[in-house]
Amino acid sequence: MSRDKNLPLTETVYYILLALVEPAHGYLIMQKVEELSGGQVRMAAGTLYGAIENLLKQNLLQPVRSEDSRRKVYVITDKGKEILRLDYERMKHMIAATQANFE
Amino acid sequence: MRKWKWFHNFDKEEKWLNELASQGYMLVRKSIGYEFQRVKPEKAIIRIDYRTFKNREDFEDYRALFEDSGWQHIAGTRSSGHQYFKKREESGNEDIFSDVDSKAARYKRMAQMWLSLASIFLPLFAVLVSTGAIDAEVFLNPKALYYTPGLWEKAGTDFWGAFLFETPFALLRGFLWILLPLTLVLYVVFAFKANRRYRNDTDQ
Repeated sequence: MSRDKNLPLTETVYYILLALVEPAHGYLIMQKVEELSGGQVRMAAGTLYGAIENLLKQNLLQPVRSEDSRRKVYVITDKGKEILRLDYERMKHMIAATQANFE
Repeated sequence: MRKWKWFHNFDKEEKWLNELASQGYMLVRKSIGYEFQRVKPEKAIIRIDYRTFKNREDFEDYRALFEDSGWQHIAGTRSSGHQYFKKREESGNEDIFSDVDSKAARYKRMAQMWLSLASIFLPLFAVLVSTGAIDAEVFLNPKALYYTPGLWEKAGTDFWGAFLFETPFALLRGFLWILLPLTLVLYVVFAFKANRRYRNDTDQ
């Protein structure tokens, strides 16, 4: 079975996509990523900005209408959700395989 | 205070700006040169990003993100490329990048900018050559660049006076175009340098 070329996602990309199941602007994404990762992933502004730019290019995110005139708001696309689900399945399999053979 | 300096390395530029801040000179504007304001000496952390923006909204959104996360935008415009940020005291992050790749990507964007500048000059140069505006024959017959009637029949001080007077004009007439390929080569060299730094930094 050929795997989607986007997989596996990096830890930061995974958390950004997960954070954007609900629409959010840049700084809120940063805070959500930190919270979701239990404080493990702390992104700096320049790195997050570049990551959002890439994900928009790959069509995994899209901008949505924002009430804040200064800050753009993004949300995950259907393609993004599909990729996120595939990576989730991949990791579930890894965990199952680890439990069966390592614990 | 104004200063003229040229950097190819963001880390060195940051260090220089931080040093000046500790001497009481804070960067307030950057165009061709740097403009500083006299302030109380402080241990500042200034970081540099490299980006240009398609429109005003993108630029505002970018600055809002940095400001929300504790970085004050102190210099740079929508199309300047270099963007200067100063850390606010209360903020936690020491850098505007949290991984090596995104930090190095600045050099990639800068290399692309130099290449696109060079690619504007290349067709311009081609047009000037093909329309005869650039004439390489001046190398064989530089005398043709002098327009003073009877110049070459003159002798002694008469000749030297007229000759030296016209020489600057003759040089401009014949060789001004050389600036064009020189600039083009310079841009390509800058692009090459930035790209090499990008590859070095991402290899580590």
